[in-house]
Amino acid sequence: MADTLLEVEGLSVDIKTGNGTLHTVRNISFSVKRGETLCLVGESGCGKSMTSLAIMDLLPKGAKRSARQLVFAGEDLTSKKADQFNVLRGNRMAMIFQEPMTALNPAYTIGDQLMEGYRRHKSAGIAEARDRAVFLLNKVGIAAADERFGQYPHQLSGGLRQRVMIAMALMCGPELLIADEPTTALDVTIQAQILRLLAELREELGIAIILITHDLGVVARIADQVAVMYAGEIVEQGRATDIFSDPRHPYTRGLIDCIPLPGKTTPGRKLGVIPGVVPSLIGEITGCTFRDRCAHAEAQCREPPPPRQVPHHSWRCILEDA
Amino acid sequence: MTALIEAHDVTRSFEVSAGMFRRKRKLHAVNGIDLTLEKGEVLGIVGESGCGKSTLARILLGLLPPTSGTIRFDGRDLRTLKRRDLARQVQPVFQDPYSSLNPRRTIASIVAFPLDVHGIGSSADRRREALKIMDLVGLPARFADRHPRELSGGQRQRVAIARALIMKPEIIVCDEPTSALDVSVQSQILNLLLELRNEFGLTYVFISHNLGVVEHIATRVAVMYLGRVVELAETSAMFANPRHPYTRALLSSILTPVPGLGIPETGLGLAFPDPLNPPSGCVFHPRCPSAFDACKCVEPQLAGNGQVRAACHLESFNTGPEGTSAYES
Repeated sequence: MADTLLEVEGLSVDIKTGNGTLHTVRNISFSVKRGETLCLVGESGCGKSMTSLAIMDLLPKGAKRSARQLVFAGEDLTSKKADQFNVLRGNRMAMIFQEPMTALNPAYTIGDQLMEGYRRHKSAGIAEARDRAVFLLNKVGIAAADERFGQYPHQLSGGLRQRVMIAMALMCGPELLIADEPTTALDVTIQAQILRLLAELREELGIAIILITHDLGVVARIADQVAVMYAGEIVEQGRATDIFSDPRHPYTRGLIDCIPLPGKTTPGRKLGVIPGVVPSLIGEITGCTFRDRCAHAEAQCREPPPPRQVPHHSWRCILEDA
Repeated sequence: MTALIEAHDVTRSFEVSAGMFRRKRKLHAVNGIDLTLEKGEVLGIVGESGCGKSTLARILLGLLPPTSGTIRFDGRDLRTLKRRDLARQVQPVFQDPYSSLNPRRTIASIVAFPLDVHGIGSSADRRREALKIMDLVGLPARFADRHPRELSGGQRQRVAIARALIMKPEIIVCDEPTSALDVSVQSQILNLLLELRNEFGLTYVFISHNLGVVEHIATRVAVMYLGRVVELAETSAMFANPRHPYTRALLSSILTPVPGLGIPETGLGLAFPDPLNPPSGCVFHPRCPSAFDACKCVEPQLAGNGQVRAACHLESFNTGPEGTSAYES
C-alpha cells in the first residue's frame, strides 16, 4: 500500500503557438501510491488533461514535455523512446477517456478491440485473449458478456460503452489507470455505477488510479488524495478529507462555494462566484496566477507565492488560511 | 396565479428508419404529458438523456408541433398562434453557447437580431436597446463589436440570455444552460438568471440533468422518464420526500462534495430500456427496485394532491384522503 508507483517532479508541458509559448502545465509535482486514487481537479484549461497525456507520452504534436523526475514503478520515463513507451502503454499503464463513443472504433466489434492490446502485449492466442475479455466484461458488470463480445459499439448504451472501455483498460492488468473525466458524458445514475466499479476494482486489484475531473462531488466520493489545479499549476494538494474540511487556497474555497447543494445552499439565494477569467498562459508568467480573481490579493502576490504545509496538506499562497 | 401554458396529453413521435427495406418505427419522444406553467414560477425538468426533455422544450418553444394533444398559451391554442407572436412571449437559451451564436455576427447584432426579425425600431434604436440589455446581463459595452470567438463560455451564455431578453418575453425556456460551463461560471449564470427573474417577474422552464442546480433554481420540478412525467412536485417537497422510485434513485445519485460518504448505490441495474420498444405497463419497471406484478401490465397515471403527484402504483395505493387514486377516474 505504501509504496510509490508514480513520482512526478517538476513536470511542465509547453506548446508553441503563433503568439508565443503556451505554458499549459507548469512545474507540477505529485506522486501516486499503489492502491490509491489521486484526483486531479480543476476547470477547463487548467492543464489536468495535458498532465495525464504527458505521463502516458500521448501529447499532441507540438507539445513539449519536460520534467525533473518522472518515475513509474522504478523506471525513468523521461529517457524512454517511443517504442519503449509502447511496451508500457496499454500494458502497465492504461487510460480511459471521457467520451466512450469516440474512443471506441465503430467498425470493429468490442471483442476485437478488447483483444487487440492483450494479444500484442502478452503474445497471447485468440482463445486466451477471448477468455480474458469475457472474464473482464463480466467483471465490469456486463450481463451476457459472450453476446456482447461480438457486438459493435453502436449497439451499446453509453454506460455499457464506458464499462467496455474500463474492461479494455484492465485487459493487460495495469498497475496505473488514468481516467480522464470517465463519467462526465454519462447520466447521473450511471455515473454512480461507474464510480462504484472503479472503486471496487481499485480495492480488488490494488491498482493506482489517477482520476481527472472537474466535478468536486466525484472527487469527494472517490479520492484518497486530491490535487487542485489552476492555470497549469497545482495550487493545493492533500488528503481528500483535509481538502474538503479545511480548504486553504482561495481558489479551492471559491470552487466549493460555487456549487449549489441540496440541503446546504438555500434555494434561490446567491451562490458564491469567482469573478474574472483564467489568465492567458502564453508567455512569461510570474507570481500567483489567481491574484486577479482573488479577494485576498495584495502587492506581494506578484511574487511567486510561498509553499505552505501542514501534515498531509500543502498549498501555495501568501495566506496561511484564506 | 394564472397558467401561462397548459399542456394536455401532449405527444410527439418520430419515425425512425430501421434499415432500407424495413418498416419505419415510431419513437414516442414525448408521450402523453400534462403540464401547467404558472406565471412567475421556475419549472425544472429533470431526467436522463433520451427522456424527452429537450423535445418537450422544443414543443413549448413552438419549434416542433406536437403529434397530438393540445397546448394552450395564455388561454389560446398554440396552433392558432403565429410563430412570431409566440416568439415574442417565449424565448430560448440553449446548452452550448459555442454553437448557438452565429460566429460571423458581432455581439450587438446577435443580441439585437430578434428586433430585426420582428422589425422593431430603427437600426440605431436596436443597437441602443442591445447595449442596454447587454449591460443588464453583465456584458460591458466594449464587447458590442466583437465576435463570439473572442468571448469565454460564460460570456457567450450571457449573450444568449441577452438575446432571449431583448423581446421582453414572459417565458424563457433554458435547455441545460449551464452544462457546458465550468462550475465557477455556472454559479454566475445561475445568479444572473435568478436576479433577472426577481427584477422582471420572468417565468422559466429550466431543463437540466444536474439536480443540485435544479433544487437551487426551480420552484417546481417535473421528473421525466422515457417520454413521460413520472413525478411532478414542489421542489422542497420533492427533495424532502421523493415519491417515485426513479426520483429517489436520481436524488440518491447526487454526489455532494462531502468526503467519506462513499458512492451511492442507486439499485437501478443496467437494463436501460429501448425507447423504440418501451417496456409494457410502467416503463420504469425493469429497473425499479420495488416493482411487483401489476407494474408489468398496467401503466400508472400521475396521481396525488396539488403539491405532489407521482405516476407509481405504490403511490396511488398510498396517497392520503386528499389524493385521488389512478383507478377511481
